[in-house]
Amino acid sequence: MDWIAYLFNGNFLALAGAALAVILAGIGSAKGVGLVGEAAAGLVTEDPKKFGQALLLQALPGTQGIYGLLTAFVILNKIGVVGGTYVELTTQQGFYFLAASLPIAFVGLISAINQGRAAAAGIGIIAKRPEELSKGIMFAAMVETYAVLALLASILMVTGIKL
Amino acid sequence: MAIVKMSKLSLIGLESDKGKILDTLMNMGVVEISESSEKLSSEEWKDLVVQDGDSEKVALLDDKINKVKWAIDHLSKFASKKKGLFSAKRSIDTNEYNIIMQNIDKLSSIVDSIHRYNDQLSNLKSERNKNTNLILSLEPWQQLTIPLNETSTLTTTILTGIVPQTSSSGKLKEDLISEAPESYYEKISDDGQQEYILVIYHNSCEESVLKVLKQYNFSKVSFKELEGTVKSNIDRAQKDIARIDKECEKIENEISNFAQYKDDLEILHDHLLIERDRVKILDNLVRTSKTFYLEGWVPTELSEKLKNKINSQVECFLEITEPDKNEDFPILLENNKLVQPFEAITEMYSLPSTKDVDPTFLMAPFYCFFFGMMVSDAAYGIVMALVTGIVLLRYKLEGTMGKMIKLLFFCGISTIVWGAMFGGWFGDILPLVSGGKLNIPPIWFNPLDNPMRLLIWSMIFGGVHLFTGMGIKAYMLIKEGKPFDAIFDIGSWYILLIGVVLLLVGGTLSQVGKYVAIIGAAILILTQGRSNKNIVKRLLSGVLSLYNITGYLSDVLSYSRLLALGLGTGVIASVINTLGTLFGFNAIGIILLIIIFIIGHTFNIAINALGAYVHSSRLQYVEFFGKFYEGGGKRFEPFKKNTKYITLNDKEAI
Repeated sequence: MDWIAYLFNGNFLALAGAALAVILAGIGSAKGVGLVGEAAAGLVTEDPKKFGQALLLQALPGTQGIYGLLTAFVILNKIGVVGGTYVELTTQQGFYFLAASLPIAFVGLISAINQGRAAAAGIGIIAKRPEELSKGIMFAAMVETYAVLALLASILMVTGIKL
Repeated sequence: MAIVKMSKLSLIGLESDKGKILDTLMNMGVVEISESSEKLSSEEWKDLVVQDGDSEKVALLDDKINKVKWAIDHLSKFASKKKGLFSAKRSIDTNEYNIIMQNIDKLSSIVDSIHRYNDQLSNLKSERNKNTNLILSLEPWQQLTIPLNETSTLTTTILTGIVPQTSSSGKLKEDLISEAPESYYEKISDDGQQEYILVIYHNSCEESVLKVLKQYNFSKVSFKELEGTVKSNIDRAQKDIARIDKECEKIENEISNFAQYKDDLEILHDHLLIERDRVKILDNLVRTSKTFYLEGWVPTELSEKLKNKINSQVECFLEITEPDKNEDFPILLENNKLVQPFEAITEMYSLPSTKDVDPTFLMAPFYCFFFGMMVSDAAYGIVMALVTGIVLLRYKLEGTMGKMIKLLFFCGISTIVWGAMFGGWFGDILPLVSGGKLNIPPIWFNPLDNPMRLLIWSMIFGGVHLFTGMGIKAYMLIKEGKPFDAIFDIGSWYILLIGVVLLLVGGTLSQVGKYVAIIGAAILILTQGRSNKNIVKRLLSGVLSLYNITGYLSDVLSYSRLLALGLGTGVIASVINTLGTLFGFNAIGIILLIIIFIIGHTFNIAINALGAYVHSSRLQYVEFFGKFYEGGGKRFEPFKKNTKYITLNDKEAI
């Protein structure tokens, strides 16, 4: 059975990990940014001058997607898919990479959506008291803490894997 | 450096001097006039005084201000120079100001004319719309040569109308002729959906004609109010439109002639604004028939000067006292130029209460330090410092905006330093482009090579930050006269935490750390329950307080974001660089590299500066301020000339 051998190929598993980080964190960010965008569009119909402020809030849940890409890049870099020499991984090493990608993948997914909710609520702050925008940013940023921690865990794991 | 000390001011003066006193206070701009409404409800005062104020005049002035504001906005469409993103207020001499204010009637009439012209414009526009609509509705009838007001003769009726175009509508003519031979049918035109038809019939066969028409869903169209043929009507409407356009142009020209007065109108706007504030402040005063009373706050160091100035001008009773110990006074922060921009960060959280110390001075270096570490690319730092530096040189910025730009400038410099330490110059563009020949080695080390090392350092920096915050708390406790609280609540934690850190270091220090930690813990167990009388309860809550160590643990771990965000910048930068160099180093490749380089790094700077701003703030608010800061102070808002467009160069102001 060839496909079972492919499935447990170390390099495949590592790539699957990189893909998961991008996919899940990216989905989260897409959803989060979309949520804020919907709220922001409503605000801008009323007051187009607030576009810049609203855009700032909308950018916040976008970072998880970047963290996912970042983790993927660190993995790809380590196994030599981009730059450097291609490394043949054992199945065990492949699973290590897969595991290492999980924190940012899942925490990124959930935190981006929730950060999007917090930021969308922050749009209300811009509508009524635009001078307090930074407080709205802080509320959204509190959620991001956990994405940052997950990113850190993922990167530490990847850099710690011995090849 | 600190919160400015305030003195309380109360003043009783003659009603006839009120204008003069308020003018002096406004020009000096150092007194906050607070509401005296509590006097109105106090037993001693309420029968003597009534609230001052003139809400009608305020409303009148507000209305005027809005009108002028509208005129200015309207004129700015014609202004040749566009406003930049950062516009500073124009500075105006008192002389120039007075000269312009002599023409206040002329300026007001200009505002009125602009409004009048605008009304005319909107009238003309609606007239124009009417004509265009008329042309649209007449267009299908162009071929109709019978005058529109002719709807009947002695024995016939003339009908115009539309029928929906269907496959059977062609048979209408045949049906009509067969049912009512004394009728005439003509199709004027069709637009693919409906046919525009003319029917003339002898009055005797009206019934059968209408029956046929009903079958085909005929609906009548009449232009009773129009005279003459369709053609002549369209011609007239077109002439009208041309005339209206010409008139509009003329009026627009008239308005644009006023554009030269825009600057003067801005001064008028601010003049009215000042006038409005002067009337509005009366709400805060109370008065009798001959006298008035006001109270407020003035910075202590300026109180003597204020007293002398007022006394030299008018006779009045003026008293300046120190506030009671527990009385809250409005907060004004005073810091040196380097620290001042960071007040924006403190203000965003909350101004300090009267019991707090101003944390800005201690927070500023940490803020800058952490910001630099999170962006950590020397070239990004140079870009940030350059851009903000140029903005600062070119525009005189005030308020929060100015503070934020200055703050970013300092943070940019910090970023340069940290970037050089970690060896990030637009990520890894130099070795990548030069094939490894050109490389600026990091002064310290590259975090990507050894993230654990930087993680530990991040936590050490965090520890210093936290200990500073706890130190401020201890200082505040000692100042309040509670030195034992400082020793028990802060000192014991210092001992315990230092012990734990030593324990983790390893070697002989570990042994020392063990005992230090035990001493610290013992003090905590013995002292933390000291408010309880029961000895068992006291020890129990002492033991429970040890659980707080998890709080310190999570605080320290929170600083790992310094590493994570720093790594993030570097990795994204190298992703951009790798993307850029994918196409090789031929002509097209280099053009693509430049494009990707500029777009990519601009994006990366923006997203990381935002991230660093947010997370550096968070470290201050949650971890640092959480240790000692209360906040909730009310901002000192002096009674002064608040303007929107201009600043007055006034010698009297301080």
